[in-house]
Amino acid sequence: MNRTRFFDHVVLLLGVAFMVGPILVAFLTSTHDPYEIHMKGLMASWGNDFVQTYDKVLFEKGGFTGKVTGLAMLKNSFILGIGFAVGKIVLSMLAAYAIVYFRFRMGVVFFWMIFTTLLLPLEVRILPSYEVMTKLGLVDTYSGLIVPLLASATGTFYFRQFFKSVPEEILEAARIDGAGPFKFFVDILVPLSRNMMAAIFIIMFVYGWNQYLWPMLMTTDEGFFTLVRGIKQILLVWVGAQIPDYNQAFALAVLAMVPPILVVIVFQSWFIKGLTESDK
Amino acid sequence: MSGHKVLLSVSVAAGVLASSAAQAQTDITWWHGMSGHNGDVINEIATKFNDAQSECSLTPVSKGTYEEALAAGIAAFRSGEQPNILQVFDAGAATIINAKGATIAAEDLIKNAGHEFNRDAFIAGVRSFYADADGKFIGMPFNSSAPIMYINTQALEKAGVEAPKTWEEFESIAPKLKEAGYVPLVQSQLTWEFTENFFSRNDVQFASNNNGYDSVIDTTINVTAPEHVMMYDKLKAWADEGYFGYYGAGWSDNQKVFEENKAALWIGSSGSFGGLQKTAQMPFDATFLPYWNSIDGAGVHSFIGGAALFAMAGKPDAENNCTAAFFQFLTSPEIQVFYHKSTGYVPVTEAAYGLAKEQGYYDEKPVAEVGIKQLSLPGGEWNKGYRLGFYPQIREVMEREYGRIFSGETTPAEAMETIKNEADQLLSRFAKTSG
Amino acid sequence: MKRVQFNRPLLPFLLILPQMAVIVIFFYWPSAQAIQSSFYIEDPFGFGATFVGLSNYHDILTSAEYLKIVNFTVIFTLLVTVLSLSIGLLLAVKADKVIRGSSAYKTLLISVYAVAPPVAGLIGVMFFDQHIGPFVKLAAWFGWEMRVGIDYWDTAITMITISVWKQIPYNFIFFLSGLQGISRSVVEAAAIDCRSPIRRFWTVILPLLSPTAFFLLIINMTYALFDTFGIIDTTVKDKAANNPITLVYKVYMDGFRGNDIGGSSAQSVILMLVVFVLTVFQFRFIERRVHYN
Repeated sequence: MNRTRFFDHVVLLLGVAFMVGPILVAFLTSTHDPYEIHMKGLMASWGNDFVQTYDKVLFEKGGFTGKVTGLAMLKNSFILGIGFAVGKIVLSMLAAYAIVYFRFRMGVVFFWMIFTTLLLPLEVRILPSYEVMTKLGLVDTYSGLIVPLLASATGTFYFRQFFKSVPEEILEAARIDGAGPFKFFVDILVPLSRNMMAAIFIIMFVYGWNQYLWPMLMTTDEGFFTLVRGIKQILLVWVGAQIPDYNQAFALAVLAMVPPILVVIVFQSWFIKGLTESDK
Repeated sequence: MSGHKVLLSVSVAAGVLASSAAQAQTDITWWHGMSGHNGDVINEIATKFNDAQSECSLTPVSKGTYEEALAAGIAAFRSGEQPNILQVFDAGAATIINAKGATIAAEDLIKNAGHEFNRDAFIAGVRSFYADADGKFIGMPFNSSAPIMYINTQALEKAGVEAPKTWEEFESIAPKLKEAGYVPLVQSQLTWEFTENFFSRNDVQFASNNNGYDSVIDTTINVTAPEHVMMYDKLKAWADEGYFGYYGAGWSDNQKVFEENKAALWIGSSGSFGGLQKTAQMPFDATFLPYWNSIDGAGVHSFIGGAALFAMAGKPDAENNCTAAFFQFLTSPEIQVFYHKSTGYVPVTEAAYGLAKEQGYYDEKPVAEVGIKQLSLPGGEWNKGYRLGFYPQIREVMEREYGRIFSGETTPAEAMETIKNEADQLLSRFAKTSG
Repeated sequence: MKRVQFNRPLLPFLLILPQMAVIVIFFYWPSAQAIQSSFYIEDPFGFGATFVGLSNYHDILTSAEYLKIVNFTVIFTLLVTVLSLSIGLLLAVKADKVIRGSSAYKTLLISVYAVAPPVAGLIGVMFFDQHIGPFVKLAAWFGWEMRVGIDYWDTAITMITISVWKQIPYNFIFFLSGLQGISRSVVEAAAIDCRSPIRRFWTVILPLLSPTAFFLLIINMTYALFDTFGIIDTTVKDKAANNPITLVYKVYMDGFRGNDIGGSSAQSVILMLVVFVLTVFQFRFIERRVHYN
């Protein structure tokens, strides 16, 4: 038994090293100056520019209007991440509930209609999508940023998979107790889905958080800049003849990781609860 | 440079509007594809413009890369949400200029607003690239650069040779540079430096229909010209001999070899020197992009690289007048010199070049003058510019085939045939876009 | 579907309405426009268009380059899907098993998912830099001269590694939440019935995990096909040249960067059809083996 446990830890530690190592290196690199990074590449040591770089990316007013600070971008990223994650969970749980739990001939048709959205990513239909948005007058709004991203199947598909694996006896028992669709959903299905909701929330939050091309096209006001947009802004000069401020890009990247990690830690407790709770 | 002086002289240039009674400000927007330091400089220019006059208020917005900015501008135009000013890069020029009705020619815009416009005020290399076949300015040249040759002075001293003016001279010194322990030659973008500007510097026709200026119908590309095939035969032979190093299509992978003091000569952009000053591990100098002595009429000025500003159509007169005022402001010598010094792009007018000289800028930084000197060389027949549709994709085909030349999968002659086939197909597709 | 279901005529329509509304407006409407564009050669600014019938499709399907890209896309998708699924599953199983330090492992492994794609690309590219990348130096130490950006397959390996790295946390999260959804009484009963942990995993745990695994299979496939284009863009440093690229990157290159709306729309439609057939196939043949109850 002890040997297996030791082996488990070895596998996990290797996994952590492979996954987290590069992030750590990125963090260390962010404390060096950009020319050093340009010439020597990634750094495995602590540099001298930590305070200066992070102070700059967090507080220096950038852009034409001075609206682009690290903190302002953080706020926008948050709005996008949370708005997207919550919207996605609500829409897709309701849809999956309808598809799995109702005698509903159109259910299969609707499922496939929703599923088809997995087949053509936003990047590929981005120009027509933009035209639709301008017709609806949603350019330069938060809803214009968030709602079109909700048009995808991931959440619905996932909850369908989960609902289908929930034992039938639960619904039978609930109906014997006289629970209607609403009561069953709120009192039984939602609590049962907590793990799944946590997983989806993390994924979707980060997905919204990391959007680039769509916000870039959809907003012309610097007040809407997100962290990822800020990072891209720094790295884009690559293409030209200049040397990007790698340190700031890495620093912003590290900052951009903190809130999602907090989300992960908060939802960790949900995961663990799922473990210790009595059987469903 | 004193900011106030600029403001004063410019508010005169900003002009006619200033005389009218105080009224509500007209807002105009400018979408561009610059970021990082160059994006900050754009913001500074906009601020200077806004401070210099009170009728117009300009807001610049960064729309990502050049390609993203053009795509965003196109999408916006189709939905009637276009900005007043859109920055479009050299390879995208045909796309926007051929869409007649998408833009107002910069020259018309400026004249309509009651300003004067003098084509000859612009330096030679800049005059025709964004103009139509008659020489009328469609786009306003903004950030301009030229491919020039950077020189590792130590390497040349060690080998006991002079910087080459022609490729023939390069051939004769390359063995010595190699012996001295250097990669004799590296470059950063074959399409721009060894194809487009091979045709300009050596004054060879790049495409039919007057390099594409006269018509989009039946335009074909001339990459199979024997001179051009010869250039790549030579490059390949040099690569095999160890006289030329190719490190992929990425710009900085090639530049790095020079920065690390491992290469003797590097073909880069005239705008590269600012960054190079901070990263090069040895002293360096620069000179013109070499040409072939064996080609008749070679040695003329190169095309301008970079991007131009286009005034989008469909805007009210008041806004167009503001755009015109801004274009005037932008070409004023003070702003040009400010831009030149802070970004490394070359000034686009003779007056600005004169002012920079007067200020002693080139005594201080002689390398900064190489690009503009090269663009001021005499003009030839075929170096005004090129106007080829779907050119970004054509460049991609070239990059792909050039990569294959150096990995030994194809020969220069075959590669040029493939490029010509695919490019001509793209060009004939483009001819159909105008319906 | 379930044997036991609610039987209300109107309610399911109401429940599904918000999702359908969003999809119709923001997916089907623009997609219909893309399909229409695929039959035209169009001026990007919208000033003219020539109806060309199927010639956009013909041009693309007869191009040798396009077929080469198809080839690479298949290999790339298979490798990325298989590698990221199996590594994600392995780590999730181990993380579910250990008690000491389990939440630290989970947090660390999940957190990598938060890396913004351009940064993931940048870190990866710097690791594989042809002059100064540590991986390239490591490879050289073993006598393998990696030339990322010049050699086709060396560049491919870089892309695959970065893409797998970026996707492992995703699979980890869902496998973990799937594993934790398996009730302990089942696991304990299995432990008594079947002593070999490996057989136990294959016969008891994996079937219970199969709905999640099926979901992840499809999601990973679409990830490898669609969502990796940022990584490809950074790896080739904005210049595809003779480097490997995937179909979506080609669509992006021709449509978004090259402004060829008709040609790129035809490519989108082809892509959509292929992926559709592929997923129908998976639903028909693989989902049968998925154990839902």
